[in-house]
Amino acid sequence: MELNKKTLVGTVGYHILGNHSLPPILLPHLKRLDMPAHVKVDELNWGPVAVVQMLEAEIPSFDRVIIVCAIERSHRSIGDISVFKWLGGLPETAQIQACVGDAATGVISVENLLVIGEYFNVWNDEVYLVDVEPGPEIAGEDLTPAVQKKIPTVLALVKQLALGDLTDDLQIEPLFGDRIFQTSMEV
Amino acid sequence: MCFKNLPIAFDEQGNAYLKEDVANPYEYKVVDLGVEQDKLKSLMEKNGFIRSVDYDPVTRVAGALAFHSVVDLEQRKVLSTNSMATLFRGYEIILKGRDPRDAAYISSRACGVCGGVHATTSALAIEMALGIKPPPLGIVMRNILLAIEYLYDHPLHLFLLSGPDYSEELVGATNPELLAKAEKAKARNKAVHGYDTILDIMKDLNPLKGKLYLEALSMTRVAREAYVQIGGKYPHPQSVIPGGISVTVTISTLNEVYSRLIKFFDYGQKTTGIWDDIFDFFLEEDPRYEQCGVRPATMADTGVWDRPDSYDGTFENCDKWGNDRWSTPGVLVDGEVVTTNLSELNAGLEEFVEHSYYEKWDGQTYKTDANGMPLSPNHPWNKDTIPKPGKQSWRDRYSWDTCPTWDRMPMEAGAYSRMYLTAKAQRAPASPYLENTGHSMKINVPKYNLPEAQLEWKIPKHWNAFERNRARAYCIPYSAMVAMENWQLAMQLLRNGETAVSTPYEIPKSGTQIGFGAWGAGRGFLTHHLIVESGLIKNYQIITPSTLNAAPRAPWGAPGPYEEAVLNTPILEKFNLPEEYKGIDILRAIRSFDPCMPCTTHIMAKDSEHVVTREVTTCACGIE
Repeated sequence: MELNKKTLVGTVGYHILGNHSLPPILLPHLKRLDMPAHVKVDELNWGPVAVVQMLEAEIPSFDRVIIVCAIERSHRSIGDISVFKWLGGLPETAQIQACVGDAATGVISVENLLVIGEYFNVWNDEVYLVDVEPGPEIAGEDLTPAVQKKIPTVLALVKQLALGDLTDDLQIEPLFGDRIFQTSMEV
Repeated sequence: MCFKNLPIAFDEQGNAYLKEDVANPYEYKVVDLGVEQDKLKSLMEKNGFIRSVDYDPVTRVAGALAFHSVVDLEQRKVLSTNSMATLFRGYEIILKGRDPRDAAYISSRACGVCGGVHATTSALAIEMALGIKPPPLGIVMRNILLAIEYLYDHPLHLFLLSGPDYSEELVGATNPELLAKAEKAKARNKAVHGYDTILDIMKDLNPLKGKLYLEALSMTRVAREAYVQIGGKYPHPQSVIPGGISVTVTISTLNEVYSRLIKFFDYGQKTTGIWDDIFDFFLEEDPRYEQCGVRPATMADTGVWDRPDSYDGTFENCDKWGNDRWSTPGVLVDGEVVTTNLSELNAGLEEFVEHSYYEKWDGQTYKTDANGMPLSPNHPWNKDTIPKPGKQSWRDRYSWDTCPTWDRMPMEAGAYSRMYLTAKAQRAPASPYLENTGHSMKINVPKYNLPEAQLEWKIPKHWNAFERNRARAYCIPYSAMVAMENWQLAMQLLRNGETAVSTPYEIPKSGTQIGFGAWGAGRGFLTHHLIVESGLIKNYQIITPSTLNAAPRAPWGAPGPYEEAVLNTPILEKFNLPEEYKGIDILRAIRSFDPCMPCTTHIMAKDSEHVVTREVTTCACGIE
């Protein structure tokens, strides 16, 4: 186990969108986790540009960022959990500008956050996504049982990543910026 | 006599009444849009150069607006346009049956940029309905909060969203002949912004890399930092409540705000200098740009920024406190002020759904307002939101947006309407920072790093895409100076010991109370109409600026503002083959309105299958 890597655990997702709101629903649970002082838990819903500006101003910067999200992907079942590691890369310039446009105008999006963060060089060594399959977007305040029952697993996974306690059985998929929109648009 | 089309007249004492000799006073003609479509179809069959602008509204994240047009690339003109809102938001339905105190927090979510404006508009509606008068410091702090919100919003639009349309990269791709001229054209405002030539400015407008683009990004942070001192958080403040605000204001709070606000003194000078230089260059190099997005200066604005010694929240006195605002409410018709009274602005409002995905409602709850002014059955207080999803048809219904009108005219909204009305009407009380001349607004900007200066925004001859953005640039120092004047008032109130920021109130558990909030988003006009019955919201109606600007055809066929502006836009872009056509002139026209939603535009070039698809994204604000 490695220690003292300055770590940020953040949640990104809209409220009141059923399973898609797992990240904001998880936020209080994450804040109650028994974590060392070098791990900070925060909501990262307040706009990718603002979040990137916050990260730019953070001295020393975070060595590790873990983002909890719920993105609909075609190949998964509701409640499936994937862990991605951001390996950088950028989409074409027009796409980055579109991301900034969305970000500056209030759209909440993990992909935008990753791309804008990459463009402005705020990501250090490790950025992970803990991504839970939410299924189709449905308005509502509650999670479905399939997602609700995964909360302990998600919390354990986040803690494991935050402490750098990576085990061999933890499957981590790569995530590249130049392909990110194709990946998430597979729905 | 402000109404020309509605059946409202005034007696010698100035009391409004419904004209008695009209059989069906609020009747209107519904034209068959199919006639226009048949003509276009016939033209397209005969002329291979005329093509339909095809739409498939698939915005990447939150597609909400699409734009359809038919263009003749040989004649270089637009033949037909349709603005479509493709998303139903339904805040009116969400708010029904709830405690009125929830409205500020829920309606704030209608927008990802101007949430604070919705929250305040909601608070104003409740204050009118329940007769709540906030204390002076509460009013002043709300004014500062709003001005700061604009200081976030306007640079964001001008440099991050609209600016790239005038950058070296975009101009080089669409009108390369202008770049050579820009290289030789000296910038007139070099002393303020430091750029020697127009091309130098264009280079720094380039998206993602340009210094002006990056500077605007950092200025949005400055504004947000100031905002959260009062609002608690951005974009959905926690401290805006009916009766004032819910945060303690101290000298430290005001100092924190001031240290950010003063940065906009220089930035306001720089921004106006930049955009004056860019737009003057375009208009002088090719006067046909005067026609880009042109339409009559027919606009409505609610006015904003209440005087603490005037605002009492009542409907009875709304004309008085409305006219005392730092920005004057009212209506312009073809550049002339026809009213500055909030009661008349309110009474002239109607919403039509003939070309929208809604059912027409029955009945008319209110035939007059509290002062006896006649109200239409189509007035927001009488409206019911009944969604009726259906097939898209240019002949029939094609938008989730309604068609709001004032005195049966589609109205444009914008930050610039605020400035235009205030400058033209000359009703705003005297200010050390602002002078309204009837043809201009003079803005006295104090010294910061740059010397003090008097800026002057002049009412333009043609109301077009360039002038919308130019006026928006001047709204930066305008907003900063209103914030400064209110900051000084706040300091004086604290010195006087007047530290109360809110007035307590109770929601009556019985009876009916009605009110409307009239405030302004970054992109202009915003109203919330509220009816409270037995302590709960019975009806809630929101008209945002984009409800006005993105409106579909009126029942009698009049195009909405986007539709009209694009219809008048010449195609000045240079291209040899249809496949090279990028649609920059149409995009500039739409973008100049600062549309409140991601807008996907698709333009099909003649004699090819080449479809131009571009997003015109600004804030993610709902329109219905």
